[in-house]
Amino acid sequence: MKAIRLIVYVILILPGLAFSPAGAEPYLSGYVQGLYGGGLDKTNPTGSDWIASENRLQIRLESFSETSEVFGRIDFVYDDFNDPALRSELREAYAKFRLGSRFDIKIGRQIATWGTGDLIFINDLFAKDYRSFFNGRDDQYLKAPHNALRVEYYSGRTSLTLIYSPRFTPNIIPSGQRLSYYNPLAGAIVGGENNIFEGRRPEEKFRNGELAARINRYFGSADVALYFYRGFYKNPIGMDMEQIVAFYPRLHVYGGSVRLPILGGILWGETGYYHSRQDKDGDDPFIENSSISSLAGFERQIGSDLTANIQYQNRLRLDYEAYLDNLPPGMIERDEVYHLVTSRITKLLMMETLNLSGFVFYSPSEEDAYIRLAAAYKHSDPLTITVGGNIFAGNEEFTDFGSFRKNDNLYLKITYGY
Amino acid sequence: MNFSVKFVISIFMLALTAQVGGAQDLSADEIMKKSHLALFYAADDGIAEVRMTIVSSRGKERLREFTMLRLDLEEGGKQKYYTYFKKPHDVSRLTFMVHKLPGETDNRWLYIPAVDLVKRISADDKNSSFVGSDFTYEDVSGRHWSEDTHRLMGDDLLDQRPVYVIESIPRESHKGFDKKISYIDKENFLPLKEEYFNEDDELIRVYTAEKIENIEGIMTSVVRKMEDIKKNQYTIVEFSAIDYNVGATDDLFTERYLKNPPRKFIR
Repeated sequence: MKAIRLIVYVILILPGLAFSPAGAEPYLSGYVQGLYGGGLDKTNPTGSDWIASENRLQIRLESFSETSEVFGRIDFVYDDFNDPALRSELREAYAKFRLGSRFDIKIGRQIATWGTGDLIFINDLFAKDYRSFFNGRDDQYLKAPHNALRVEYYSGRTSLTLIYSPRFTPNIIPSGQRLSYYNPLAGAIVGGENNIFEGRRPEEKFRNGELAARINRYFGSADVALYFYRGFYKNPIGMDMEQIVAFYPRLHVYGGSVRLPILGGILWGETGYYHSRQDKDGDDPFIENSSISSLAGFERQIGSDLTANIQYQNRLRLDYEAYLDNLPPGMIERDEVYHLVTSRITKLLMMETLNLSGFVFYSPSEEDAYIRLAAAYKHSDPLTITVGGNIFAGNEEFTDFGSFRKNDNLYLKITYGY
Repeated sequence: MNFSVKFVISIFMLALTAQVGGAQDLSADEIMKKSHLALFYAADDGIAEVRMTIVSSRGKERLREFTMLRLDLEEGGKQKYYTYFKKPHDVSRLTFMVHKLPGETDNRWLYIPAVDLVKRISADDKNSSFVGSDFTYEDVSGRHWSEDTHRLMGDDLLDQRPVYVIESIPRESHKGFDKKISYIDKENFLPLKEEYFNEDDELIRVYTAEKIENIEGIMTSVVRKMEDIKKNQYTIVEFSAIDYNVGATDDLFTERYLKNPPRKFIR
């Protein structure tokens, strides 16, 4: 049955790519990958010793002409933890073409990224997959695909991008199966079969689509951007107290960023105003208040094949008085200002065949931290062996990283490309 | 060797001397400038398929394949480079763009299509390896001749080709080398060989032009080799499908094309 399903998928994806514009040969590539990750905390309520145990086949097909391109990328993942054990994930399947000399159109399933932060996203409200991020999958899996229409307009040093997605695509967050999470109703870190978490998504109708826009312009070598987003919080941080279900409150975001080379490195700054549309006055304790997030970062090479960066982010909860005034007794009181410091360090060794990297998130206000470590060895062009770890720490169970503190894991990943 | 052969060689040498006679008076700086322009600024623009083979001391081979598009804005000055990677699998479809600004820090961008990420890269260390090969960024995009003081050490013959032998010393302390000896072809000014020495005057790296071809009237080093003496390994770069004056325009070297490779050129 599984084999049949695989064949069906291949047949489904081929016609899209078989329309081979202007004689360009379709190009096939991809990889197979095994990922095995063990949990380090025996008390993790998921009840499983395995954080990850999956075998993945990725198939990529592409074809293009001078003015158009079709691209598809599908993963077949075998994970005996899942039911069914074999599932497919269509990562990308889009057509891209040029309209006149100033417009580029991209339509279909795609991945989008913008903003300046390194693993900190303020104006990038495209869906993230934190399950993948926390369990050792490749960094690229942090970005989850969505079905969208993307229109880009270019004029000299300025570009305008509109991305419209008819269906809201939320973040994929730990839901208790492989990774435990904090449940505010239970007041504890939970996991396992009886605690599978699911937020209530907005109804599928026109006004519940997502719209993201960006204007980007170069001033000298500095790139400056303005952003707008209309949609919903990407995490289910609202609580419907009538039905006792978490949901995704409406959100508008207005922001800007700048990035420029300076002092032998790259400096960036970004800010965003999150307007919480269903709690405009901040007096609903079950819906996140409006807030302002700001970020500054700097990256440079600090030694031979050694690059480091540092970032600082803060988030100011607006209408804090109203929030405090309406906080029901017994509910956890969150700070007015959230602070986060991060640092990434990457060292390449042995002619870039060994890549050692570390990324630390530390929040002095929440007193929690998340450390990502990885050593990737390229044995040969096709074969890469990676070992890594994800370590969470926190004094409290309800903070961003503290809530995942039972999910510490070490993993082994073997990738063979073709 | 009989008389007639000697005679023919003498005549040949005379002819050669006559041919390059006008160039005899070139200063070391002028020679290095001409050499830099011949190697890095051929025509107004150019495109090539590049195949890089990195061979370790144990004989293990790694392969990089990419398409490289170049546009010169000023002869010997501003340049733009566009690189589209094809192999190996983990970098395939990745694009890399450089705005080279001699005397200033280059601007560099990397686009990772799997996450739709445009990343700006700090370009502080030009001596770091280019994609894990024995070539550095500086080797690939060229070290400006004015950064070194040059001395003409004399003439020589290298593989039957008359060459200038030039010693170059960095004006400011340089991580890449402390001294370089270049063997510059007198006729086409391409470097046929470069020897890099460290502060202890030990030979650390050797560049050789393995094969030179006439492409559209421009003499081009189509096979190049860089050997790391200390590490006992080398990298061979083969250029194919070379085309000059393809009509590359400034707008190709922007974020738009970084994200959407110009398929007219990049296949």
